[in-house]
Amino acid sequence: MKRAALGLVVAGALSAQTVEPAGAGALSRGLDAENGNRAREAVTAYREAIAAGAVVQGVLGLERVFSLTMQEDSVLAVLDTLLPRFPDDGALRGVQLRALVSLGRSRAADAAFHAWRDARPDDLVPYRDYARILLFNNRAAAADTVLRDAATALGSLQGLTLELAQMRAGLGRWEEAALAWRAVVQEEAYYESAAVFSLTPTPVAARALVRAALLAGSGAASSATSAAPPTIGVRQVRAFLEVAWGSPRDGWTALSAVPVSDTAVAVWRQFGEEVERAQAWGVARDAWSAVHRARPDAVVAWRGAQAALRAGDAATALALVRGAGAGDSTARVDVAVPLELEALARLGRGAEVTARLAAESAALGPDRVRSMQRVVAWAWIRAGDVPRARAALAGATLDAEDEVAGWLALYEGELAAARQALRHVTTPDQDVVRALALLNRTTAPRAPAVGAAFLALGRADTTDAVRRFESAAADLPDAAPVLLAMAARLETGRGADGRARRLWQRVATEHAAAPEAAEAQLEWARGLRRAGDGDGAREHLEHLILTYPGSALVPQARRELDALRPQVAS
Amino acid sequence: MTLRRLLLSLLVATRAAGAQHLLLPMDEAQANHLKAYGVIFGALVDNVRSEWLINYRGGAFLVPDLPSVRRAAALAGVTTEPVDGGTLATMRREIAEGNMDAVPLERAPRIAVYTPPDSPPWDDAVTLALSYAGIKYAKIWDDTVLATDLAQFDWIHLFHEDFTGQQNKLHLGFRDAPWFVQARERDLAMARGRGLADIPTLKKAVAEKLRAFVERGGFLFAMCGATETLELALAAAGIDIAGPYADGSPLDPAADTKLAWDRSFAFQGAHLEFAPGINAMSDIDGHQVNVPARRQPLGTFSLFGFSAKFDPVPTMLVQNHRAVMPDFYGVTTSFTRRTLKPGATVLAQEEGAPWVKYLHGSYGRGSWTYLGGHDPEDPQHNIGAPPTDLALHPNSPGYRLILNNVLFPAAKKKTLKT
Repeated sequence: MKRAALGLVVAGALSAQTVEPAGAGALSRGLDAENGNRAREAVTAYREAIAAGAVVQGVLGLERVFSLTMQEDSVLAVLDTLLPRFPDDGALRGVQLRALVSLGRSRAADAAFHAWRDARPDDLVPYRDYARILLFNNRAAAADTVLRDAATALGSLQGLTLELAQMRAGLGRWEEAALAWRAVVQEEAYYESAAVFSLTPTPVAARALVRAALLAGSGAASSATSAAPPTIGVRQVRAFLEVAWGSPRDGWTALSAVPVSDTAVAVWRQFGEEVERAQAWGVARDAWSAVHRARPDAVVAWRGAQAALRAGDAATALALVRGAGAGDSTARVDVAVPLELEALARLGRGAEVTARLAAESAALGPDRVRSMQRVVAWAWIRAGDVPRARAALAGATLDAEDEVAGWLALYEGELAAARQALRHVTTPDQDVVRALALLNRTTAPRAPAVGAAFLALGRADTTDAVRRFESAAADLPDAAPVLLAMAARLETGRGADGRARRLWQRVATEHAAAPEAAEAQLEWARGLRRAGDGDGAREHLEHLILTYPGSALVPQARRELDALRPQVAS
Repeated sequence: MTLRRLLLSLLVATRAAGAQHLLLPMDEAQANHLKAYGVIFGALVDNVRSEWLINYRGGAFLVPDLPSVRRAAALAGVTTEPVDGGTLATMRREIAEGNMDAVPLERAPRIAVYTPPDSPPWDDAVTLALSYAGIKYAKIWDDTVLATDLAQFDWIHLFHEDFTGQQNKLHLGFRDAPWFVQARERDLAMARGRGLADIPTLKKAVAEKLRAFVERGGFLFAMCGATETLELALAAAGIDIAGPYADGSPLDPAADTKLAWDRSFAFQGAHLEFAPGINAMSDIDGHQVNVPARRQPLGTFSLFGFSAKFDPVPTMLVQNHRAVMPDFYGVTTSFTRRTLKPGATVLAQEEGAPWVKYLHGSYGRGSWTYLGGHDPEDPQHNIGAPPTDLALHPNSPGYRLILNNVLFPAAKKKTLKT
């Protein structure tokens, strides 16, 4: 990073200054030697360049070489002779300060800065450059002192806001840092990523202050300029910070209120890509939808539909893909049609999937149509119509170990067939794992009640699934704790604490020797804690630890037990 | 003696011979060293006496095998080993023949932590350790120290307070930070409320109360900046050693020569840091972490071995399953050898370095222990860093040093020879 920055300075200096031929030749030799790791040769060449008049480029070359050879102090000897001749040269002064600070010679660095400042009393450059060097070396408190001096000497910190923002963030003064970054980004929007980088480490406790400071410009250190409405750049900083802090929805809230413009759409696109990287699919769906509404584009709408499907929102996915427009015909067949079919299938609209697949069969071709039969089957499964699902697969060649065949068998209560198929799934997802957890705990070949429970779950009818899993427990005693735990997990997942607690209680008391019993005790305790019964929660956590010492849940139970314990004596 | 009486006495003798104990090993066999202290502390609270087998298996504990103790250990994940009569006799013989001893632990010490009312628990290693081990404590702050009789406590721990009243000179980097301003206003209001002119005067009064607590038989444990600044505050009674930002007046230019070191516990002949822009209090701290040009790198420190039978107190304080551990920074990280009083016992040091890490000594009828650094499991401990999660460090040797200090006042008085 430092080398890259120095390289930029060299490039700028070379282009800005007319170099004598002799100096140019020496510089060229110096760069070649530097690139070839021939430090001694490079030093000689750069010294020749300086003697020939290419003073700044030569000194910067020496600084790089001496830095690599850990001889930073050698450049100081060169500067001792050059600075009296070029006292106003900012580049040379900067080299001197960098060398002194990196050598840890703070007092000498301060003295050098004072000398430069005294030589140019009305110039902010000495303050700015020294503050930057100190910040680069993680000396934010020292940079603070320099900037305060600047405010006193120059009457304001205009032109130094960037350094002020970095300094405050370096000192952990997050609210003030946010206000300073706000001022920087209001003026120069391209500093948005620097602001995000700087403010991302804000601790949780200080984030509310940073949010307020960025959007409202409020806070102890706010000023008249910071109170102006936030520009889109500032909103972008806030939005990207929220993504980094794990709350992308808040980020979109901050950004979505911006009136439509080319800039706003460009920022929304960036945000959409960012939240896709963070796998915040619901937020990505909203961002792409907004982009598509503002500047209709089929590709964007399809991207939004994809995000919506990943977020589990098939209805929006369908609306986006149908409202996308034609787009490129090949892309429509490759992307839009499968998306539409998938969305319809997720919605359980089997008849429509069948009809759409028939309508697009010519464009898709026979191979694709065959592979899409699975999607049709899933649509009927979600509609709760297993016979039609089977019929949809009639043309497809399914062997006994195919996953879809396994699910169909399970929904029909054919446990033996389902077990045979699902255990061969190479990369089982959560649903397959959940099904196998049951199938591996019972020897029963057939259990229609269990099939009906899984089918209800497949149709996303949680209430019916819970009821059926619980009642199936009576039909299948060897798998009863698994079935009850499945029902309890579904209730816990949708926040039905009371009903969940009753089910967990059944697992814990009626099946105390089952593998699910430890989980039941933990969840029972959690339910009681949420209901404000700390003593009851403690009792179940202790029971878990003492009764199931080998359970993987014991460390977590200990944590939760610690959290329930009062610490301070009365 | 009737036959019935004879049978009864035989039965009692048999039960006694077969009486079971539980050993809480504190060597590498222990799954959770830190919570073991909590189990023993809990037993003492329930009036179950135990023994600290110093230098035996890392400083193991021996307790009667009671269901309540077994339950507490199991809940805490603390390893226990049943010990029958024969094994116990062998253990006692081994302890008698080696550099080991069995120290009876009689009652749970009454613990107070000097900490501001609104301080988060993770900001102080001792509070963290006590909370994690499940040891209850009372919180005290300036008003309690000044207004109540500290003899109600056996053991007081000092939060990393600056007793010179200069707020650790953090004004250099945090003068406008809300938490800094809030702490300054809180302390100033406390001082004014008690008719004291400024924060340095308030903190010196608190330091004096703490000195009297030790003199009358209390145990004081301090870490980080509390060690150095307590000493400076005690030595500077009536001398202005605070910068103008703290009390509105410059330091007494002759303060260095006026300091009365006979009033302090551990140090003498230290020199104050007069420069207002340098974040250091004196040359007591060897590492000077907040002064970039002077900052010393972290090394490792080693615990001293003491004679368990002749020096039980220092032996208790260094019980550990590790003899060497990585150093960690704090506002005061270490103590320069040059400034130590001859009576101070060095418990841990960095080999070849001009500083030591861990100190103990007596003062009046009480004693004090100083441990440099802030958090044994967070060597840098920057302000705003996330709190240490001790559940991830259940075997932390550094935190064991803190907890040794908590149990040490539980030891039977007659064994406290130093």
